[in-house]
Amino acid sequence: MSATGTCEYQPKDYKSDLKPIWCPGCGDFSVVQGIYRALAAIGRPPHEIAFVSGIGCSSRIPGYTTAYGFNSVHGRALPIAQGIKLANPDLLVLAAGGDGDGFSIGGGHIAHLIRRNMDITYIVMDNQIYGLTKGQLSPTSQKGRTTCTSRYGSLEEPVNPLLYVLAYGAGFVAQASPTDLVGMAATIEEAIRYPGFAFVNIQSPCVTYGEEAQQIKGLKAISESLQSLGHNPADRLAAMDLAQQYGNKLHLGVFYRNPEPPPTYGDLVKERQTLLSKDAPPKERILDLFIKK
Amino acid sequence: MAIQGIDFAKLSLMDALDLAILVEDEAQERYEEFAAQMDQHRTPQAAQFFRYMVENEAKHGRELLARRVQRFGDAPRSVTRAMIFDVEAPDYDAARAFMSPRKAMEAALASEVKAHSFFVSALPSLKDAEVRALFEELRDEEIEHQELVKIELAKLPPDSGLSDEDFVDEPAAQ
Repeated sequence: MSATGTCEYQPKDYKSDLKPIWCPGCGDFSVVQGIYRALAAIGRPPHEIAFVSGIGCSSRIPGYTTAYGFNSVHGRALPIAQGIKLANPDLLVLAAGGDGDGFSIGGGHIAHLIRRNMDITYIVMDNQIYGLTKGQLSPTSQKGRTTCTSRYGSLEEPVNPLLYVLAYGAGFVAQASPTDLVGMAATIEEAIRYPGFAFVNIQSPCVTYGEEAQQIKGLKAISESLQSLGHNPADRLAAMDLAQQYGNKLHLGVFYRNPEPPPTYGDLVKERQTLLSKDAPPKERILDLFIKK
Repeated sequence: MAIQGIDFAKLSLMDALDLAILVEDEAQERYEEFAAQMDQHRTPQAAQFFRYMVENEAKHGRELLARRVQRFGDAPRSVTRAMIFDVEAPDYDAARAFMSPRKAMEAALASEVKAHSFFVSALPSLKDAEVRALFEELRDEEIEHQELVKIELAKLPPDSGLSDEDFVDEPAAQ
C-alpha cells in the first residue's frame, strides 16, 4: 500500500507458482517478464485481468501469471477473449499466442476484432516456426526455410504480421523483442493503455528449432528502435512503409497509434443498451417475450 | 544489459546501495529460474551449480542490505527493478537444455564480466565520492566473483571437446 492509500503492485505479484516448461534459452521467458512488468505498471489487481491463449509453446503463458487464465483451443484465443470482454467489460483482457496460432489457424479472427475495435491487447510471440510440434513451417517462416517436413525449402512467402494488422486498420501496432526487456515492457504497457484493439508482435526466438539468424544475437544485429529513426507513430502510411521491412529489419517500438481512437465495440454496445433499455421489459419479464400468450 | 531512468551524476549513496541490492536480487532470481529450468530438463549438475550461484548472489545482497539499513534505515526506495535489466543476471538465452556444468559456469562467468563492465562504465559519470567508492568496491568484487567461478571451472575434468548439442536428439517429424 502506498502513502496515498492506493495499492501498488510489483511484477512478482503477477507471477504464478507454476514453473515454465519452455526450453531453456527460449525467448518467451523474457516475454513473460515483460508482461509482469507491464501489468505492475498498469496496477490492476490480478483478479481483474483475464488472459486467454490458443495452443502452442507461447500459449502456455497465461498459466505463468496470476491473472485469470484460459489456455484455450488452437487459433481461438481472440474469439474467446472477445466473449469475455463483452460479458464483463470491466476486465482487462489480454490474448496471446504464437505466429501459427494467430496467423494460420486463427488468422480469420484478427480482422473482426480489429474492425470492431475490441478493447483487447493481443501479444503474438512470433518465432517463425511451429516449435511445440517439433519444427514445421509456420505462416511467418521465411521463403526457402528448410525444416524436418520441408527438406527442400518453403515455397511460400511469409505472412507479414505487422502489415496484416495495419491493413485491417488496427489502432495500435507495435513490435518488441527480448533483446530489450525494458522497451518490451513499456510497449506492452502502452498497448494495454490504448483504448481499443492493440497488437504487439514480439520476435521471440525458438532456441530449439529456430535458425541462427533468429536467435538473440542475430536479432540484435538487425534491431533498430523506431524512436531513434524519428518515426511518427501517428503516421499510418509511414508505419506501413516501415512494416514492409519485416524479416529484414527488426524495428522496435510503436509503428502506429491512432491519435483519435474510435469508440470500442464495448462502448457502442453500452450505448445501444442504454438507448434500448428505456423500452425494455424488466429482466425478470424477459421470458414472457418468448412465450406466446 | 539495460539501465533506464537513472542519472548516475545525481546518484546518492542510498540510491546506489539500493541499485546494487536490486542488481543482486535480479541475478539471484535469474539463477533460481535457471536452476528450475535445469531441474525440468533433467540436468542436475547444471542446476546444482546455478543454486550455488543463487546462494552467492543472496549472500552478497544480504550484506549490501545490512549496510543500507545501518546507514539509511527503512527510508523509501526510489530505485526500482523496472529500471534495470540483465546487469548481473545471465541473459535468458544463456541457458540451454542439457547444458554441461562447464557451460553453466561459463554462462555465470560471462555474467560476472558483464557486471564488472557495468560498474566500470558507470564510474566516469559519478560525482559523489561515497558513491564512487562503493562502485569501485563493487567493481573489484566482480573480479573476485569471476575468480570464484574460475576456481569451480578448474575443478572440472578436462573438456571432452564434444558439444552439448551432440547429446540432444535430432528434431523429428511427427
